[in-house]
Amino acid sequence: MKFAVVVFPGSNCDHDAQYAAQHVLGQQAEYIWHKDTSLEGADVVILPGGFAHGDYLRTGAIARFSPIMAEVQKFADAGGPVLGICNGFQVLLEAGMLPGAMLRNRSVKFQCEHVLVKVEQTDTPFTTACRSGQVLRIPIAHGEGNYYAEPEVVARLEKNRQVVFRYTNAEGMPTDESNPNGSVANIAGLCNEQRNVVGLMPHPERACEMALGSADGLVLFESAVRSVVNGVGGHFSRTVAAR
Amino acid sequence: MRARVFVTLKPSVFDPQGKTVTDALHTLGYAAVKDVRQGKYFELDIDTRRPDEARTLAVAAADKLLSNPVIESYRIEIVDEVTA
Repeated sequence: MKFAVVVFPGSNCDHDAQYAAQHVLGQQAEYIWHKDTSLEGADVVILPGGFAHGDYLRTGAIARFSPIMAEVQKFADAGGPVLGICNGFQVLLEAGMLPGAMLRNRSVKFQCEHVLVKVEQTDTPFTTACRSGQVLRIPIAHGEGNYYAEPEVVARLEKNRQVVFRYTNAEGMPTDESNPNGSVANIAGLCNEQRNVVGLMPHPERACEMALGSADGLVLFESAVRSVVNGVGGHFSRTVAAR
Repeated sequence: MRARVFVTLKPSVFDPQGKTVTDALHTLGYAAVKDVRQGKYFELDIDTRRPDEARTLAVAAADKLLSNPVIESYRIEIVDEVTA
């Protein structure tokens, strides 16, 4: 199977994501330049972390107009699995592919540290290999990861089980102390209603080998492989396999 | 014409930067400053002589790009750059 890693000017976790997919998991993983207009038959699309277009205006605000984003939207509409990591998550929010927006961290600082996130939903293409309630130790590195949505939007996210990852303590409790940035309801990551588009602020690709201090993030990539190759996890995998 | 676009966080949205600026002003002794809301300011030079056309374009720009409607609202002023 094939991963596509979209490269925006200013992406800086593209190589980490490609490394996780290709070198750690042994899958094919190609870089796709943001001005390209084809995903070249990819089974999974990753929007990586970084500072696309220098984060000018707002994080992700310019990247959403990159030519490749029309293809990413089409791919997602057809049920293809899309993962936005950190800046990639911010791009998905600005593109309207996921609901909500990002504010500055409540600390007003760029925060770079390992945090704990609980996997709350295992029926997305990026969490099928997780245990429900599994707490992952993976790093964050962002200045604007303070997730915000109107209360009725948050209520809808909870009702539809779209909150996939939540900042918690080691016991899986979403305490204020375990919330690194002030995100509403400790939301670290979410999916769309169709569940094939997932975004999260923490960096699983930076935690995919013990040499990096944690290998907890690898399970997201393993989930993607399992979803596509084995057809596990619902309609998205079949849709992609049928293309 | 020239359009001045002021983009600010909605009143219901917490503004961490504004809070930090407020705290800094208090440190400087300006205790009378009760709150600061930080925003963005854009000037658009628009190739038209008609204020209504300039406003229509500025609204479209603010809706589609300059602001994020999830967290921000905006205000627009249209001025004649000859007299401004």
